[in-house]
Amino acid sequence: MSNSVKVPSVLVENVSKWYGQVIGVNDVSLAIEGGVTGILGPNGAGKSTLFKLLMGRIKPSQGSVKLFGIDPWQDTSPYRRIGYVSESERLYDWMTGQDFVSTLARLHGMTRNEAESRAEHVLEFVGLYDVRHKEIGKYSKGMRQRVKIAHALVHDPDLIILDEPLHGCDPIARTSIMNVIKELGNQGKTVLVSSHILEEIERITEQIVILHNGRLLALGNIYAIRDLLDKHPHRIMITTEEPRKLANAFIGEEPIYGVRFPEEGKLEIQTNDLSAAHSVLPRVIVESEVKVSRIDNPDDNLESLLEYLIGG
Amino acid sequence: MSKQDEQGRGLSNTVWTQLDRKAGAITELTIRQLRNRISTWVVLGVGVLLISLLLIFYIDSIRDEFEPYDNDGDSEDWDNDGYPLGQENIYGTSDYNEFSFPGSSEYIYQGDIDWNDQPRTHYGNHTWSYAWGYFTPVWIDVNSTNPFIWNYYNSWIDWSLGDYSCEDEGLPDNPFYIGQNDDYGYNSIDRNYCQFENGTYIMFGAAFRGEGEFFVQPGWETEWGYFTESFFVEPHPKSMYIDEDDIDWNGNSVSGSQGFDDDGDCLKEDYLVESSPDDSNRNGIVCDVQWTYDPYGNLISIRADSNVDEDPDDSKHVGESSHRTFIIGTGKIAFVMILGLFLPLFLALGLVRDESENGTLHYLLSKPIHRGEFILYRLLGYLAIVVSYTVILTFIIAFITSIIGPGESIIRLSDYPVWIGISLSTILVLTAYGSVFNTVGLILPRYGVYLCILFGVWEFLMGLFTITIPSSDITMLSISHWAIQIIDATVMIAWSDTALMQQQANAFGLETGISFFWHPPVHTLGTGNPFIALIISVVFILVFSIGMILIGQLIFRNKEIM
Amino acid sequence: MTEDLIDLDGGQTRMEAAYGSDDGDEDLFAITAKRDASVGEIFEQNYRPWDGDFGPRWVRNYAIFRHHVFGLFSSKGHRNYNPFIRLTILVIFIGAISPIAMLFFSSLFGTGPDGFIDKMWGVNRSNLWGQVLGYFPRNLCYWPLLTALVVGGMISDDRRNGTSAIYFSRPVTRVDYTMMKYLSVAVVLGFVIVFSYMSYYTLAIVFKGEGWGFLIDTLPMFLAGLLCSILLVITYTSIGLALSSISQSRFFSAIAFLSIIYGTKLVALLIDLQFETSILYILSPYDCLAHFGQWMLGLELNYSHSLSLSVVSLILMNLVSILVLISRVSSLEVTRE
Repeated sequence: MSNSVKVPSVLVENVSKWYGQVIGVNDVSLAIEGGVTGILGPNGAGKSTLFKLLMGRIKPSQGSVKLFGIDPWQDTSPYRRIGYVSESERLYDWMTGQDFVSTLARLHGMTRNEAESRAEHVLEFVGLYDVRHKEIGKYSKGMRQRVKIAHALVHDPDLIILDEPLHGCDPIARTSIMNVIKELGNQGKTVLVSSHILEEIERITEQIVILHNGRLLALGNIYAIRDLLDKHPHRIMITTEEPRKLANAFIGEEPIYGVRFPEEGKLEIQTNDLSAAHSVLPRVIVESEVKVSRIDNPDDNLESLLEYLIGG
Repeated sequence: MSKQDEQGRGLSNTVWTQLDRKAGAITELTIRQLRNRISTWVVLGVGVLLISLLLIFYIDSIRDEFEPYDNDGDSEDWDNDGYPLGQENIYGTSDYNEFSFPGSSEYIYQGDIDWNDQPRTHYGNHTWSYAWGYFTPVWIDVNSTNPFIWNYYNSWIDWSLGDYSCEDEGLPDNPFYIGQNDDYGYNSIDRNYCQFENGTYIMFGAAFRGEGEFFVQPGWETEWGYFTESFFVEPHPKSMYIDEDDIDWNGNSVSGSQGFDDDGDCLKEDYLVESSPDDSNRNGIVCDVQWTYDPYGNLISIRADSNVDEDPDDSKHVGESSHRTFIIGTGKIAFVMILGLFLPLFLALGLVRDESENGTLHYLLSKPIHRGEFILYRLLGYLAIVVSYTVILTFIIAFITSIIGPGESIIRLSDYPVWIGISLSTILVLTAYGSVFNTVGLILPRYGVYLCILFGVWEFLMGLFTITIPSSDITMLSISHWAIQIIDATVMIAWSDTALMQQQANAFGLETGISFFWHPPVHTLGTGNPFIALIISVVFILVFSIGMILIGQLIFRNKEIM
Repeated sequence: MTEDLIDLDGGQTRMEAAYGSDDGDEDLFAITAKRDASVGEIFEQNYRPWDGDFGPRWVRNYAIFRHHVFGLFSSKGHRNYNPFIRLTILVIFIGAISPIAMLFFSSLFGTGPDGFIDKMWGVNRSNLWGQVLGYFPRNLCYWPLLTALVVGGMISDDRRNGTSAIYFSRPVTRVDYTMMKYLSVAVVLGFVIVFSYMSYYTLAIVFKGEGWGFLIDTLPMFLAGLLCSILLVITYTSIGLALSSISQSRFFSAIAFLSIIYGTKLVALLIDLQFETSILYILSPYDCLAHFGQWMLGLELNYSHSLSLSVVSLILMNLVSILVLISRVSSLEVTRE
């Protein structure tokens, strides 16, 4: 593609999708070009719906979806340049990995020989070369995920969409899949990876999209988003025998603007600068001489992050 | 070196070759998928088993040869006198009377006194029968034995019973007394005769031999005659009267009247046949067969006078038509109705539906392939299996039956067009049902299967009706009707004399089953031409299948896949 | 580890989820002990034996039975029958009892010329036979379709979805499971087949105002027909459930059942018409039943082979089916397959 006007790989404009009464994706607009992008969101946030819209499986109720400038619902031609790893767990268990990948490669119009050699190549890339003649039914979960990735890469696509590729994998498989994805990003391809675990995405990419309840919550660099989040109020939960005494010690410290006693033996302090709060925390505790049994940071996960974004 | 595009692929990779490859890949995937399912093998295996079963029965029946069958029953000897009915017919004796047989002594009628004849007495030495009246004997043959089985009104007197006095029974010797007061006075006595003290006998429907004067009371009657000398006639073996009256047909379609009464049972004058000789087909010629043709030379009907050509040579006629019946019946029931219906039910129903249920559809649809093409290639994969299966199976059964089947030649080449017709019909049915089931599975993934089962039951019913009553209108709403039409038409094309055989079987009572399994094709636009029926049926099924595939494609193209 | 760390309520729910006498369709949650674990803690797994009383065995079994049969009327808390299946069963049921309407009209019009109406819709041997074993339309479409639809997912769904675990993780033995599945199918089939037969006979007597003498005369006939109908239900249930137990797809079992009933009948018919031997009818479940039924009701036998062959074949069919069923159920996984 060497058009004079640069068309983004993925262009989503004001797309909404309803399933009857339920809304799957709500007025989402996105343009993605180059590099690895993580799509984050809890279960039911609309990640898979978004991907299905991108892959032309379902038709947007409103708005338009364009891949390389073409509507995938109308025309299957963009699939020549797209690799898609669905969230589906089922594979053809009776086929060998090699067969599976080469059969699907032939659907790109490759000859049989071409397909076989491409399949071998791509299976080597995902690290399944040794087991390529084993039946998929005998593969482990991680291997199955990798063979799914292999089929999506077999035609050397420009855009790769991976729906929960790390789902259900053990840490070793996870690392190897992550490496594959990073490698793809380094090759200059556009990669979309969805996950509901922030930490996973963090290890792959810095560019993220956050979806919740079908709405686009945030988009951009993960650290930039983090910083923006830091300006939001945060909570720190301290378990102690003398919460009130400790609360007295905290009041007056600069970053802390409020305290609460949610239940017996607990103290919640509220801050809008989390890192500053954490820096004063040890000092205050030591000075107050209160015995603290534990310190929790309930907001330090994706869920609460999202909670802030949507609830304010 | 061929030209290359930017991606380095040869330009010889045109759109078409790429399409071929995609088609090949999906077709191959489908075949391998079906091959990997146990149920496929079970279903195909059951089909082979079914065909082998039919073959075993066929070979068994061929080995026994065709038993000659006595259509008119004249090889039977009902009265156990040692002479079969056919021989008795020739001699004009009765097969229901053991005393009446060729060469047996025969009662010859000489005279009688009717209820109002005058005079009412007769003297003579006779055998009297149906004797009602007063007999004054000179001599009575008390030793004569009963030459006939008589009826109730005329039974041979058993003289060995001794005297039987009329007075004891209270009968008056005045003949008119009985006549005036009690016409049926004999009802009150135990025998059909009694004797008065003056020696006169009174007879009530008796038969006996003797000399004397017979007085017949007015209103009563008596007849007399004599018995011929008996002589010996060699009894014919029963086998002479099986297949003794073959179909006399010289194939001359100009002269409609054919047939000859070889065994003479039509021409004979006999009390068993009411009006003989016979012209029950009313063409003015007695004892013939009327063959009626239409202007194109097709046989319309055969109407035979009774007992003409009625017992043809079974091995000559039945052998061939049984062979045909086997092929037609197997084609219609085993191939079209059983294989044609159940293979798609097992194999085609889940072609796309199962993929989408399992979620494996995503892999296939994320490739640059149009959804419409995808359906077509899936069906192609299914057809590749079932079509080759059908063709192989037909060829095997065709080969075996054409070798061991009846006929002079080593191999019956004329069978093959019919087998090809059966194969074609089955393949069309497999295509039609395959596309229907596939499409219904797409439209209604949940309820569709029940619809398919209902549809299958409907097709099954309509198929059965079509075989028995092909002209019924409602059956036209089914695929199986048209498929069966194809077989009927090919049979008519390949074996143009099947209609003749069927007419012969109907007219002369040949038990071949061909009348049940075969009927001339119905949808010929009034021309009677089987090619037209063939073309109409093929086009109908093809149009239906293509329509179904198009509907399926349309639905699938606009279907959101979860 | 202190006592309050163990979630008592959750434990109880879990036990109920595992051993409750209900069908498991309710939304029961098994809440495990849960605490904030950010510091890191390893929980001691304390299970307490549940020492409550089980309901009697028949109550549990009745629950299984009820689950399957009541599902025909309401799927709330019962096995879900497709609305399409329900509709078809209703149509079949109406078809099966439709002679009763004719019976009613014939009783209005009297016996007709030559007792024609009486012959068609009265109580006599061939009518009672036909009410159960008549080929068209009953055994050509009603009964096979009915069985195929009812039996389709009976066990195969459990295999496919692993829902057999719901039964086997409770005090339900495999024998109970099999018997209740069998009984459920048989009762549904019986409701249509036997019930329509019995109401036909009963209403014929009521409508025509027959007396005790007629009742005594026809009772043996009726009982013979009843036996036949029960045998029909048993045979179809056995074959259908066996097919359902060997597959994971409800459609396979339904289609396989139909193909067995139709296929064998058709092949035997083909052979009979062409080679004039009825021996192959012993392969067809319907014809074995019909043969036996003709003998039971004292009708003229349509088949030239000996009755004992049909009876033996019938017994073998049931035996093989039940053996298959038993062996398949005993290999049914407790977990999802």
